[in-house]
Amino acid sequence: MKISTKGRYGLRAMLDLAVFSDGEHVSLSCIAERQRISVNYLEQVFSSLRKAGFVKSIKGAQGGYALTEEPSEISVGSILRALEGELAVVDKRDSGRKSLIQLCLNEFVWERMNDCLNEVVDSITLEDLACDYRRINGLDAIMYHI
Amino acid sequence: MKISTRGQYGLEALIGLALKSTSTPVSLKSITSDCGLSESYILQIFLMLKKAGILTSVRGAQGGYMLSREPSQISVRQVLEAVEGPLAPVSCIVDDCNDPCGRYKMCAARLLWEKVKKRMDSLVDSITLADLVENVYAVDARENPDYSI
Repeated sequence: MKISTKGRYGLRAMLDLAVFSDGEHVSLSCIAERQRISVNYLEQVFSSLRKAGFVKSIKGAQGGYALTEEPSEISVGSILRALEGELAVVDKRDSGRKSLIQLCLNEFVWERMNDCLNEVVDSITLEDLACDYRRINGLDAIMYHI
Repeated sequence: MKISTRGQYGLEALIGLALKSTSTPVSLKSITSDCGLSESYILQIFLMLKKAGILTSVRGAQGGYMLSREPSQISVRQVLEAVEGPLAPVSCIVDDCNDPCGRYKMCAARLLWEKVKKRMDSLVDSITLADLVENVYAVDARENPDYSI
Protein backbone atom coordinates (compact mmCIF):
# COMPACT_ATOMS: atom_id res chain seq x y z
CA MET A 1 0.00 0.00 0.00
CA LYS A 2 2.36 2.67 -1.22
CA ILE A 3 2.20 5.94 -3.13
CA SER A 4 4.81 5.91 -5.91
CA THR A 5 7.85 8.19 -6.08
CA LYS A 6 6.11 10.17 -8.79
CA GLY A 7 3.17 10.91 -6.52
CA ARG A 8 5.33 11.76 -3.53
CA TYR A 9 7.80 13.97 -5.39
CA GLY A 10 5.07 15.59 -7.47
CA LEU A 11 3.21 16.58 -4.33
CA ARG A 12 6.37 18.03 -2.79
CA ALA A 13 7.10 19.99 -5.96
CA MET A 14 3.57 21.45 -5.96
CA LEU A 15 3.97 22.27 -2.29
CA ASP A 16 7.27 24.02 -2.98
CA LEU A 17 5.59 26.16 -5.63
CA ALA A 18 2.74 26.98 -3.26
CA VAL A 19 5.15 28.13 -0.55
CA PHE A 20 7.82 29.89 -2.58
CA SER A 21 6.33 31.08 -5.87
CA ASP A 22 4.53 34.18 -4.62
CA GLY A 23 3.11 34.81 -8.08
CA GLU A 24 6.52 34.49 -9.75
CA HIS A 25 7.80 31.60 -11.81
CA VAL A 26 10.15 29.28 -9.97
CA SER A 27 12.99 27.50 -11.75
CA LEU A 28 13.26 23.74 -11.59
CA SER A 29 16.78 24.01 -10.21
CA CYS A 30 15.52 26.02 -7.19
CA ILE A 31 12.87 23.42 -6.46
CA ALA A 32 15.38 20.63 -6.99
CA GLU A 33 17.80 22.19 -4.52
CA ARG A 34 15.23 22.92 -1.83
CA GLN A 35 13.52 19.56 -2.13
CA ARG A 36 16.64 17.51 -2.86
CA ILE A 37 15.06 15.96 -5.92
CA SER A 38 17.02 15.60 -9.17
CA VAL A 39 16.21 18.09 -11.96
CA ASN A 40 15.85 15.21 -14.39
CA TYR A 41 13.19 13.58 -12.30
CA LEU A 42 11.43 16.89 -11.68
CA GLU A 43 11.22 17.46 -15.44
CA GLN A 44 9.24 14.25 -15.84
CA VAL A 45 6.98 15.09 -12.92
CA PHE A 46 6.34 18.61 -14.20
CA SER A 47 5.48 17.35 -17.63
CA SER A 48 2.65 15.34 -16.04
CA LEU A 49 1.62 18.26 -13.83
CA ARG A 50 1.51 20.56 -16.86
CA LYS A 51 -0.57 18.13 -18.89
CA ALA A 52 -2.99 17.95 -16.00
CA GLY A 53 -3.22 21.74 -15.99
CA PHE A 54 -1.82 22.37 -12.51
CA VAL A 55 1.23 24.37 -13.60
CA LYS A 56 2.21 26.66 -16.47
CA SER A 57 5.74 27.28 -17.67
CA ILE A 58 7.65 30.23 -19.06
CA LYS A 59 10.85 29.77 -21.00
CA GLY A 60 13.95 31.92 -20.73
CA ALA A 61 16.22 33.33 -18.07
CA GLN A 62 13.42 34.36 -15.71
CA GLY A 63 11.46 31.29 -16.67
CA GLY A 64 10.20 28.41 -14.64
CA TYR A 65 6.94 27.10 -13.37
CA ALA A 66 3.98 28.62 -11.55
CA LEU A 67 0.66 27.26 -10.31
CA THR A 68 -2.33 27.93 -12.54
CA GLU A 69 -4.71 28.20 -9.58
CA GLU A 70 -4.63 29.39 -5.99
CA PRO A 71 -3.27 26.68 -3.64
CA SER A 72 -6.56 26.86 -1.72
CA GLU A 73 -8.37 25.76 -4.91
CA ILE A 74 -6.22 22.67 -5.49
CA SER A 75 -6.99 19.53 -3.53
CA VAL A 76 -4.21 17.11 -2.70
CA GLY A 77 -6.44 14.34 -4.06
CA SER A 78 -6.59 15.90 -7.53
CA ILE A 79 -2.77 16.18 -7.64
CA LEU A 80 -2.28 12.58 -6.54
CA ARG A 81 -4.84 11.25 -8.99
CA ALA A 82 -3.19 13.18 -11.84
CA LEU A 83 0.15 11.56 -11.01
CA GLU A 84 -0.92 8.12 -9.81
CA GLY A 85 -4.19 7.42 -11.59
CA GLU A 86 -7.25 6.39 -9.59
CA LEU A 87 -6.39 5.96 -5.92
CA ALA A 88 -7.49 2.44 -5.10
CA VAL A 89 -6.14 -0.06 -2.58
CA VAL A 90 -6.55 -3.11 -4.79
CA ASP A 91 -6.11 -3.58 -8.53
CA LYS A 92 -9.24 -4.54 -10.39
CA ARG A 93 -9.15 -8.26 -11.14
CA ASP A 94 -11.04 -8.96 -14.32
CA SER A 95 -11.32 -12.66 -13.66
CA GLY A 96 -14.92 -12.85 -14.74
CA ARG A 97 -17.52 -13.82 -12.20
CA LYS A 98 -16.66 -12.98 -8.64
CA SER A 99 -17.32 -15.30 -5.74
CA LEU A 100 -19.63 -14.20 -2.93
CA ILE A 101 -16.64 -13.70 -0.66
CA GLN A 102 -14.92 -11.50 -3.24
CA LEU A 103 -18.08 -9.45 -3.76
CA CYS A 104 -18.36 -9.00 -0.03
CA LEU A 105 -14.72 -7.96 0.37
CA ASN A 106 -15.07 -5.52 -2.51
CA GLU A 107 -18.00 -3.66 -1.13
CA PHE A 108 -17.33 -4.03 2.56
CA VAL A 109 -13.56 -3.55 2.70
CA TRP A 110 -11.79 -2.42 -0.48
CA GLU A 111 -14.34 0.13 -1.67
CA ARG A 112 -14.69 1.57 1.81
CA MET A 113 -10.90 1.87 2.04
CA ASN A 114 -10.87 3.59 -1.37
CA ASP A 115 -13.59 6.01 -0.27
CA CYS A 116 -11.75 6.74 2.97
CA LEU A 117 -8.48 7.37 1.14
CA ASN A 118 -10.05 9.67 -1.44
CA GLU A 119 -12.08 11.48 1.19
CA VAL A 120 -8.99 12.34 3.25
CA VAL A 121 -6.90 13.58 0.33
CA ASP A 122 -9.82 15.49 -1.18
CA SER A 123 -10.47 17.29 2.09
CA ILE A 124 -6.94 18.71 2.23
CA THR A 125 -5.86 21.53 -0.08
CA LEU A 126 -2.39 22.51 -1.19
CA GLU A 127 -2.83 25.64 0.93
CA ASP A 128 -3.38 23.48 4.04
CA LEU A 129 -0.10 21.70 3.33
CA ALA A 130 1.64 25.01 2.63
CA CYS A 131 0.51 26.29 6.06
CA ASP A 132 1.95 23.16 7.67
CA TYR A 133 5.16 23.61 5.71
CA ARG A 134 5.57 27.23 6.83
CA ARG A 135 4.83 26.29 10.42
CA ILE A 136 7.25 23.35 10.67
CA ASN A 137 9.99 25.24 8.88
CA GLY A 138 9.57 28.42 10.91
CA LEU A 139 8.69 30.47 7.81
CA ASP A 140 5.71 32.21 9.48
CA ALA A 141 7.94 34.60 11.38
CA ILE A 142 10.00 35.49 8.32
CA MET A 143 6.90 36.25 6.27
CA TYR A 144 5.89 38.88 8.84
CA HIS A 145 9.09 40.84 8.40
CA ILE A 146 8.81 41.19 4.65
CA MET B 1 -1.11 2.43 -2.58
CA LYS B 2 -2.06 -1.20 -2.94
CA ILE B 3 -2.99 -4.16 -0.81
CA SER B 4 -1.17 -7.10 -2.38
CA THR B 5 -2.71 -10.46 -3.22
CA ARG B 6 -1.35 -11.71 0.13
CA GLY B 7 -3.73 -9.44 1.97
CA GLN B 8 -6.58 -10.03 -0.45
CA TYR B 9 -6.33 -13.84 -0.56
CA GLY B 10 -5.57 -13.99 3.16
CA LEU B 11 -8.84 -12.29 4.03
CA GLU B 12 -10.68 -14.35 1.45
CA ALA B 13 -9.38 -17.61 2.92
CA LEU B 14 -10.13 -16.53 6.49
CA ILE B 15 -13.72 -15.75 5.59
CA GLY B 16 -13.89 -19.12 3.82
CA LEU B 17 -12.62 -20.79 6.97
CA ALA B 18 -15.00 -18.88 9.25
CA LEU B 19 -17.94 -19.83 7.02
CA LYS B 20 -17.06 -23.52 7.39
CA SER B 21 -16.45 -23.70 11.10
CA THR B 22 -15.30 -21.58 14.00
CA SER B 23 -14.97 -24.47 16.46
CA THR B 24 -13.36 -27.39 14.62
CA PRO B 25 -10.23 -27.55 12.46
CA VAL B 26 -10.80 -27.04 8.74
CA SER B 27 -8.43 -28.55 6.17
CA LEU B 28 -6.49 -26.21 3.95
CA LYS B 29 -7.71 -28.10 0.89
CA SER B 30 -11.36 -27.61 1.63
CA ILE B 31 -10.87 -23.85 2.01
CA THR B 32 -8.75 -23.38 -1.08
CA SER B 33 -10.88 -25.57 -3.33
CA ASP B 34 -14.00 -23.63 -2.34
CA CYS B 35 -12.33 -20.28 -2.94
CA GLY B 36 -10.36 -21.34 -6.01
CA LEU B 37 -7.09 -20.26 -4.41
CA SER B 38 -3.67 -21.88 -4.68
CA GLU B 39 -3.01 -24.23 -1.77
CA SER B 40 0.72 -23.51 -1.53
CA TYR B 41 0.16 -19.75 -1.57
CA ILE B 42 -2.53 -19.91 1.12
CA LEU B 43 -0.26 -22.16 3.19
CA GLN B 44 2.39 -19.41 3.16
CA ILE B 45 -0.20 -16.83 4.19
CA PHE B 46 -1.64 -19.10 6.90
CA LEU B 47 1.83 -19.55 8.40
CA MET B 48 2.05 -15.77 8.74
CA LEU B 49 -1.41 -15.64 10.30
CA LYS B 50 -0.41 -18.41 12.68
CA LYS B 51 2.70 -16.52 13.70
CA ALA B 52 0.54 -13.46 14.34
CA GLY B 53 -1.69 -15.53 16.63
CA ILE B 54 -4.78 -15.31 14.44
CA LEU B 55 -4.80 -19.00 13.43
CA THR B 56 -3.86 -22.19 15.21
CA SER B 57 -3.14 -25.45 13.46
CA VAL B 58 -4.12 -28.93 14.58
CA ARG B 59 -2.16 -31.93 13.40
CA GLY B 60 -3.53 -35.33 12.50
CA ALA B 61 -6.19 -36.90 10.33
CA GLN B 62 -8.89 -34.54 11.56
CA GLY B 63 -6.44 -31.68 11.62
CA GLY B 64 -6.38 -28.36 9.87
CA TYR B 65 -6.65 -24.72 10.77
CA MET B 66 -8.81 -22.92 13.30
CA LEU B 67 -9.31 -19.31 14.26
CA SER B 68 -7.54 -18.59 17.56
CA ARG B 69 -10.43 -16.46 18.76
CA GLU B 70 -13.98 -15.48 17.92
CA PRO B 71 -14.40 -13.86 14.47
CA SER B 72 -15.73 -10.77 16.25
CA GLN B 73 -12.34 -10.46 17.97
CA ILE B 74 -10.36 -10.51 14.72
CA SER B 75 -10.16 -7.20 12.89
CA VAL B 76 -9.36 -6.65 9.23
CA ARG B 77 -6.46 -4.50 10.41
CA GLN B 78 -4.92 -7.38 12.38
CA VAL B 79 -5.17 -9.67 9.36
CA LEU B 80 -3.79 -7.16 6.86
CA GLU B 81 -0.94 -6.09 9.14
CA ALA B 82 -0.01 -9.71 9.81
CA VAL B 83 0.52 -10.44 6.12
CA GLU B 84 1.26 -7.00 4.63
CA GLY B 85 2.97 -5.10 7.43
CA PRO B 86 1.73 -1.68 8.52
CA LEU B 87 -0.74 -0.05 6.12
CA ALA B 88 1.25 3.02 5.20
CA PRO B 89 1.03 5.08 2.00
CA VAL B 90 4.73 5.93 2.42
CA SER B 91 7.37 3.99 4.34
CA CYS B 92 8.94 6.86 6.30
CA ILE B 93 5.99 7.15 8.71
CA VAL B 94 6.22 3.58 9.93
CA ASP B 95 7.80 3.17 13.36
CA ASP B 96 10.57 0.80 12.35
CA CYS B 97 11.53 2.68 9.17
CA ASN B 98 15.28 2.24 8.94
CA ASP B 99 15.84 4.90 6.34
CA PRO B 100 13.86 8.07 7.04
CA CYS B 101 15.10 10.85 4.78
CA GLY B 102 17.07 13.79 6.17
CA ARG B 103 14.14 16.13 5.61
CA TYR B 104 11.83 14.10 7.83
CA LYS B 105 11.30 16.74 10.51
CA MET B 106 10.49 19.55 8.07
CA CYS B 107 8.36 17.52 5.70
CA ALA B 108 4.77 18.73 5.52
CA ALA B 109 3.76 15.91 3.19
CA ARG B 110 4.54 13.50 6.04
CA LEU B 111 1.71 15.07 8.06
CA LEU B 112 -0.66 14.30 5.19
CA TRP B 113 0.47 10.69 4.95
CA GLU B 114 0.12 10.28 8.71
CA LYS B 115 -3.44 11.56 8.49
CA VAL B 116 -4.20 9.09 5.68
CA LYS B 117 -2.73 6.21 7.68
CA LYS B 118 -4.67 7.14 10.80
CA ARG B 119 -7.99 7.24 8.97
CA MET B 120 -7.34 3.99 7.11
CA ASP B 121 -6.20 2.26 10.30
CA SER B 122 -9.31 3.25 12.19
CA LEU B 123 -11.52 2.08 9.32
CA VAL B 124 -9.96 -1.39 9.12
CA ASP B 125 -9.85 -1.54 12.93
CA SER B 126 -13.60 -1.19 12.96
CA ILE B 127 -14.34 -4.08 10.57
CA THR B 128 -14.19 -7.58 12.06
CA LEU B 129 -14.19 -11.03 10.49
CA ALA B 130 -17.65 -11.51 12.02
CA ASP B 131 -18.91 -8.44 10.11
CA LEU B 132 -17.52 -9.88 6.89
CA VAL B 133 -19.14 -13.28 7.43
CA GLU B 134 -22.46 -11.58 8.11
CA ASN B 135 -21.99 -9.52 4.98
CA VAL B 136 -21.38 -12.65 2.89
CA TYR B 137 -24.83 -13.89 3.92
CA ALA B 138 -26.34 -10.49 3.12
CA VAL B 139 -24.67 -10.40 -0.30
CA ASP B 140 -25.81 -13.98 -0.92
CA ALA B 141 -29.41 -13.09 -0.11
CA ARG B 142 -29.24 -10.11 -2.42
CA GLU B 143 -27.48 -11.85 -5.33
CA ASN B 144 -29.49 -15.08 -5.14
CA PRO B 145 -32.98 -13.96 -4.10
CA ASP B 146 -34.72 -17.06 -5.49
CA TYR B 147 -32.41 -19.54 -3.91
CA SER B 148 -33.96 -21.21 -0.90
CA ILE B 149 -31.95 -23.46 1.35
